[in-house]
Amino acid sequence: MRGYGPLFYLIEALRGLRANGLVNLLAVGTISMAMLIVGFFLLVFLNLQSAVHAVGERLAVSVYLKEGVTPQERDFLAGRLKTEPGVRRVTFVPRDEALATLRKELKGQEALLEGLGENPLPDAYELSVDENLSDPARMDALARRVEKYFGVEEVSYGKESVEVLNKLLRLVTYGGMTLAVLLGVSVIFIISNSVRLALYSRRQEIELMQWIGATRGFITGPFLAEGMIVSAGGTAIALAVLAALFHALPREAVLFLSGPGGLSFLPVWVIAYLVGGGAVLGLLGGFFSVNKFLE
Amino acid sequence: MIHLYRVSKSYEGIPALREITLNVDKGEFVFVTGASGAGKTTLLKILFCAERADEGQIIIQGMNTFRLSPSSIPYLRRNMGFVFQDYKLLQHKTVYENIALALKVVGTPYGEIERRALTALKRVGMDNKDHLTPPKLSGGEQQRVAIARALVNEPQILLADEPTGNLDPQSGQDVFRLFKEINLKGTSVIVATHDWETVRKMQRRIVVMERGRITTDSKDQALERTVPANNGRGASKP
Repeated sequence: MRGYGPLFYLIEALRGLRANGLVNLLAVGTISMAMLIVGFFLLVFLNLQSAVHAVGERLAVSVYLKEGVTPQERDFLAGRLKTEPGVRRVTFVPRDEALATLRKELKGQEALLEGLGENPLPDAYELSVDENLSDPARMDALARRVEKYFGVEEVSYGKESVEVLNKLLRLVTYGGMTLAVLLGVSVIFIISNSVRLALYSRRQEIELMQWIGATRGFITGPFLAEGMIVSAGGTAIALAVLAALFHALPREAVLFLSGPGGLSFLPVWVIAYLVGGGAVLGLLGGFFSVNKFLE
Repeated sequence: MIHLYRVSKSYEGIPALREITLNVDKGEFVFVTGASGAGKTTLLKILFCAERADEGQIIIQGMNTFRLSPSSIPYLRRNMGFVFQDYKLLQHKTVYENIALALKVVGTPYGEIERRALTALKRVGMDNKDHLTPPKLSGGEQQRVAIARALVNEPQILLADEPTGNLDPQSGQDVFRLFKEINLKGTSVIVATHDWETVRKMQRRIVVMERGRITTDSKDQALERTVPANNGRGASKP
């Protein structure tokens, strides 16, 4: 059985796009708007995620020791802490060193420390943890476990900042996902309609092709390719506009918006996935329309 | 080549074909004639798998069409050409593009398309008008292009439904002359027509239909007795 390859369908699709230029141009424009919103949310999400990771990397858990803990007990505790999952490094901070650090941090306000007499700070261990422990629930579980160890007075970590960042990330994730699904459905709908218009404008040709022995694949191929081109094209335009807007941001705005992870544009693999995803949505839109028409 | 056995078809309870039995051999030329509503077009549509029969058995080129899946129908159609009364040419495409489409549909290599399209157009005497669009052609010329399109893939069977219905007598004669030439090269031709004068002149096998039944199937001169004086347009009794 003879047949044509993808190039044939591509050429036929480009002919079809030219024949229904205005309709397809409108579809590309509408898809661009929808994908611009999706791209924007993805940009915010990825930058927020990188901020959370950066905070997670810097996150330290302070394990304050009880008074009177012997060096042997302290070493035993250090050994136990090192075996805790997610703990990367255990550093001992003697009380004198902690006070010196505090003095440095309070430079200019040393008066606050006057009159303390004896050093009120306890010996402590600083734990560096993996970034996946930036999840508040895991962090809390670690703190509760360590608190019960012999010789431990108190455990503290930046609970509030971790919780706030995670809440924000969750909000952007769920909001963005909901919006992406809604806009994805809209893209399918837009493509489905533009392909349907193309089908109606060429219904005589399609009917004739069926009469002269065209297979379903031969008839549908160019329309599916049209859907893919329009949708992927719309997505590419949206990303180009987003990139232009991103790079046109004034320096002050960049500094203001930069989180602990910095501010960066969508990575290449995300752009590739978005354009590919746009093409798949176009394919789906075309598929629904063509099948309904031929039935 | 074509075998129909007790084939029936109804539309919303109204019978269009009633227990039709018909055999057409390879290279045969058959006229199917009868009044409007006699079932000629339904018969051709069933042969072309554009309609499904309700009952009976249909075997075309060894294939039982009742057992054909929808995806196999295009392959059956590639062995048949169909000529329509209204030509069904794409008005915005040139004569050449109309023919080339039939070649593309069956996956003909690009390098062969031009040669084969022009050969088919030459066969019907339209090779000098390949660059024109159908609205710039006469009815007879358009039908010749439609015949070229039906023939370009060298089908073994050619079906034509009232091919001269929209043509003046001279153009109609030209079309029938073409069919005769095509048939002489071995293609089986089945033509549904009202044009009794031509049918009589051509001296080929004639199948007369009435109210969904074949009332006469004969090549002999006795047929004339069964045909009514009103040129086959009214009802006739066997």
